[in-house]
Amino acid sequence: MIVRILLGAIVSASAAALAAAAEDGGRVDFNRDIRPILSNKCLACHGPDEAERQADLRLDRARDATADRGGYAAVVPGDPDASELIYRVESEEELEVMPPSSFGKTVTPEEAALLRRWIEQGAEYAEHWAYVPPARPTPPEVSDPSWPTNPIDRFILVRLESEGLSPAPEADRAALIRRVSLDLTGLPPTPEEVDAFLADQSADAYESLVDRLLASRSYGEHMARLWLDLARYADSAGYADDPARTIWAYRDWVIDAFNANMPFDQFTIEQLAGDLLPEPTESQLVATAFHRNTMTNSEGGTDDEEFRNAAIVDRVNTTMTVWMGTSIACAQCHSHKYDPIPQTDYFRLFAILNTTADADRRDEAPTLPLYTDEQKAHKADWEREAAELRATLSTPTPELLEAQAEWERSFPAEPEPDSEAAKAPEAIREILKIAPEDRDKDQASKLTEYYLSITPLLKAERERLAELERKLTPYTTVPIMQEQPERDRRTTRIQRRGNFRDLGEEVPPGVPAAFHNLPDGAQPDRLGLARWLVCEENPLTSRVVANRCWEQIFGRGLVSTSEEFGSQGELPTHPELLDWLATELVRSGWDLKAFFRLLVTSSTYRQSSRVTPELLERDPDNRLLARGPRFRLSAEMIRDQALFVSGLLSPRMHGPPVNPPRPQTGLNAAFGSAIDKPTSTGQDRYRRALYTEWRRTNPYPSMTTFDAPNREVCTVRRDRTNTPLQALVTLNDPVFVEASQALARRMVREGGDSTEGRARRGVRLCLGREPSEKEVAALVSLFQDARSDFADASDAATRMATDPLGPLPEGMDAAELAAWTVVGNVLLNLDEMFLKR
Amino acid sequence: MPPPSRTLLAIAARERLQAATRRHFFRDCGVGVGKMALASLLLGGQPAPASDATRGELANPLAPKPPHYAPKARHVIYLFMAGAPSQLDLFDPKPTLSTYDGQPVPADVVKDQRYAFIRRDASLLAPRFRFSRHGQSGAELSEVLPHLAKVVDELAIVRSMHTDQFNHAPAQIFLNTGSPLPGRPSMGSWVTYGIGSEADNLPGFVVLSSGSGISGGAANWSSGFLPTAFEGVVFRSEGDPILNVSSPPGYDDELQRDSLDLVRSLNERHLGRVGDPEIAARIASYEMAYRMQSSAPELMDLAGESRETLELYGATPGRVSFANNCLLARRMVERGVRFVQLYHEGWDHHSDVEGGLRNQCGQTDRAAAALVMDLKRRGLLDDTLVVWGGEFGRTPMVESNATLGRKLGRDHHPQAFTMWLAGGGIKAGQTLGATDDLGFHVAERPVHVHDLQATILHLLGLDHERLTFRSQGRDFRLTDVHGRIVQELLA
Repeated sequence: MIVRILLGAIVSASAAALAAAAEDGGRVDFNRDIRPILSNKCLACHGPDEAERQADLRLDRARDATADRGGYAAVVPGDPDASELIYRVESEEELEVMPPSSFGKTVTPEEAALLRRWIEQGAEYAEHWAYVPPARPTPPEVSDPSWPTNPIDRFILVRLESEGLSPAPEADRAALIRRVSLDLTGLPPTPEEVDAFLADQSADAYESLVDRLLASRSYGEHMARLWLDLARYADSAGYADDPARTIWAYRDWVIDAFNANMPFDQFTIEQLAGDLLPEPTESQLVATAFHRNTMTNSEGGTDDEEFRNAAIVDRVNTTMTVWMGTSIACAQCHSHKYDPIPQTDYFRLFAILNTTADADRRDEAPTLPLYTDEQKAHKADWEREAAELRATLSTPTPELLEAQAEWERSFPAEPEPDSEAAKAPEAIREILKIAPEDRDKDQASKLTEYYLSITPLLKAERERLAELERKLTPYTTVPIMQEQPERDRRTTRIQRRGNFRDLGEEVPPGVPAAFHNLPDGAQPDRLGLARWLVCEENPLTSRVVANRCWEQIFGRGLVSTSEEFGSQGELPTHPELLDWLATELVRSGWDLKAFFRLLVTSSTYRQSSRVTPELLERDPDNRLLARGPRFRLSAEMIRDQALFVSGLLSPRMHGPPVNPPRPQTGLNAAFGSAIDKPTSTGQDRYRRALYTEWRRTNPYPSMTTFDAPNREVCTVRRDRTNTPLQALVTLNDPVFVEASQALARRMVREGGDSTEGRARRGVRLCLGREPSEKEVAALVSLFQDARSDFADASDAATRMATDPLGPLPEGMDAAELAAWTVVGNVLLNLDEMFLKR
Repeated sequence: MPPPSRTLLAIAARERLQAATRRHFFRDCGVGVGKMALASLLLGGQPAPASDATRGELANPLAPKPPHYAPKARHVIYLFMAGAPSQLDLFDPKPTLSTYDGQPVPADVVKDQRYAFIRRDASLLAPRFRFSRHGQSGAELSEVLPHLAKVVDELAIVRSMHTDQFNHAPAQIFLNTGSPLPGRPSMGSWVTYGIGSEADNLPGFVVLSSGSGISGGAANWSSGFLPTAFEGVVFRSEGDPILNVSSPPGYDDELQRDSLDLVRSLNERHLGRVGDPEIAARIASYEMAYRMQSSAPELMDLAGESRETLELYGATPGRVSFANNCLLARRMVERGVRFVQLYHEGWDHHSDVEGGLRNQCGQTDRAAAALVMDLKRRGLLDDTLVVWGGEFGRTPMVESNATLGRKLGRDHHPQAFTMWLAGGGIKAGQTLGATDDLGFHVAERPVHVHDLQATILHLLGLDHERLTFRSQGRDFRLTDVHGRIVQELLA
């Protein structure tokens, strides 16, 4: 058995630490100490959900909990012994104890003690922290003012000081450039970039580096990858047949929006409601494909209305998760058990999203055709010309009618096989058998119509029309949001237990009553909803977005449940810092590049990630940030990096999805169509993973192995597992073998004439640092062993060096390259490759 | 079995590695033993970590974990008959259908049920096959299941299954995950999350497929919001059994071992510098991957099976078939794999249900029966639960449609269908539940899909109400907020 190790956090440990603070005699904090107990143990039956409420008792609000219940009350502020709540949770009587044993959870003695002390101290309720808009805190004073670079560091340092910890020293510069390059562009630095940075003695060398990375095109590609998980972007429609879906123009829109640093509020509005903006641009319409990424079920015999409803449910849930970090999904079927969201409110949101024209159709209508600039410049002319040609081609002139008569006369009674005449359809041949004077009007016109479609006299016009039609074909299409015309706009009714066929009262469109109102002048439609999500009063969006950016850079959010900010979520580790960041994001005009710049230029980010056993014991998750971030790269980054260091990665951006080599399954989809796609050729074999065709029911295998989701639903946070199947990918997958081969050739080409030089070049390409002498010696020794093995096995050597990359370059030796391929394979499998340093 | 020399080599290599791994952890890692003990305590002593923040970062999440209570079964082989076989022609004989063959189904029976293809007043269709009683238990089976008839006393046949879904993809996903929409963890993922696996060198949850493709696709074995380590690993029917388990062309074993040793020593050096225990976990993963490179091909190689065994299943080494998959499933269970799911797609008989069933039973009956027999004689049936069934049933009414070229078929029917279970704590030799005279509705002892799920978990020692995982602020279960254990099925 492999010895098991715990890598991550055991969150309960730190929750216990928080609770311990309260046990020391400090003041009990409702949100920190009490709400989790009520939420987990009591509110399922004594919370906001009226249908499930027992004994008519509600514990989530002070006035209900303290109400007189005929001589007693659940909570009597200041008097725990008079409080029924305490009596019940402390009771050992089977019939009295709460929660009842059938509930499956108990209130622990520690929790009961907390409840007791809370009531002793006055039983004060507080609104859930995340529902109160963030107020901008002043960054705290710290004892060591030399360490902080920006306000983030003051918040972090104060907490470290209070825990008796101190920050780690700054990471070495080679580690730093690799870390920040990976974080901002998804790609490592080249050795030359590392050299330039190491040589840059200017005071703002690091800041200039950050600015260069933020300005690079790869930034948008990397950021898009994360957003596409939220948008559940895929190149297929999902469900049984999972047919291909053309929607990549949306993916390109996301890349471009990040690269152009579109403010996040605008980014929000265009995606949710670009079509409702005044005179929307083509780009704003493309943006609305965000919510067209829901699945479409084209299985035979399905009820389109059922799956259209499923798509609207997904849109409601995704919207609330992505922007407000609030899972509202449960309120589809019943009022929320923990947060104040009744079922009616769910359907008010549903009503806002329920009036678009799309309806689970196989053709994905409505879609927007997209034309190149050249097409747009000529479109009107071409369309006019085509219309004229169509008129010409359907107008029988006297000359044409005469030619038709001649053609009829010469039409053979029994056409030779394969002759022109034989191509005439059966119906036409039947008409021809009738004498001209006996044909009815319909037959005569059918015949003329047919003749006009084949006559050599109009050949030039026909060909020109075909050419114009080709030119007028859009280069792609994209499904978009479009409101139904007012007269047949759907109304929304409550769906009992979430069943779309069991309808209750009609619900007008609106936002949940527990939150702020729609901004002034906003209508209860998608545009109003989008503005509501990013308006100043919204307590959640800025925190949720700031937290997600933080998680992306530091590996774990300040709220570790980045998908859930409601009362069932975790509390922030640094609440003031989160609020400062949230308000800073809004203050900057939702400037994401500025925000990432703030994060990565902090001293907190720049710390070394080295960890001592003591610190590991103390803070295994690095929640306190007494060291720099160090965690595994995403599936896409691992692939892109291997192609990048070996020199294979294509710089081409945008366009239709591609199919890099993938194992053939030999399978068909459920209803017949083959799953396997031909491998892309040329550069398209080596594009960034972002462009790989994403089929929901048959995801690209190595991506799944490295924790990429299927993208059937919105994913806020990917896992980072560490499994043997991952090792098999990077050791043996043809993509990585090919990268090893290309890396081998690159080491030989760029590493000078000595074996040591080549090994050194390999390490610098892959790890962005100078190797130690021991490392060089180990690599050289493996190379020499491998080369002598391959010297006697020329066939194996050739395969190792060329399959699948291709023939040996002129003058290169198979055994030599095969041996370097083995070394390349080792480099691509080092732990240092998979993690940022 | 493989040649002895190779086995010995493999064992020797493994022991060397295990020793090295242990030595490494305790001497070189710079990770305190206290920390290690804590880690194994938490992993071993906490079958279902409820906290979200613990997800995804454990070195070997598939290590065995104690269940909630003593289990009856330790392994599951789930034979998923995708497309939905007709219960009325295989397990649930309805003479009344013969009496009223060709007459419209009474409206008060159909009520407001929707159908995928047929009209609500479609005619009834008589059973296509003869039924007779078999075994001590006298269970009734159709003539197209002659092999199953031989093991019928090992089975519990449930005639009263029902589901909520009547389209393939949602119904398959519902059966596997408890929800019709993709995104929730599948049964195999829940089970390996709950109790890990006993297989050292193989994945804990394996998916095999024969017939055509699967409607619900990867959502059927998805780990949903559980860590992806619990996702079903699809064993491929051609090429490498596990993707990328073979070394690149031209790479010999010795060289591969040399380079892995170098990866390892460089990673160890790195661990010494950085101190991050994830590096140690990665080293362990690489050693496990190395072992899989020999264990997976050895598993898939049927050459060592006796001729008698191959004939029992109807298996032919080197061919992709349900029979081969059944035999492989037994081999996996022998090697400790926790949950094996075999998909066989091809039961969607909208037309010619008679010919379709003859064909599918011809491909599956012998092997499914052989699996039960073979497990039994090897003493494996006692702790291996075998489940057989589709995602819903088929209508008592005929499906005919000239435009689609369909005649004498049956449409999708969620109200009633049949499954069978065997082994692993199942009370054998019974037929549970009943449908009405037309086979339309369940008349006795309804068993909902969530009940089946609760029962399967129960047999593995897992309480379906306690096996939870928090995602987006809610503690999710396989059985959603439903499911009751079917006590009658328990031995």
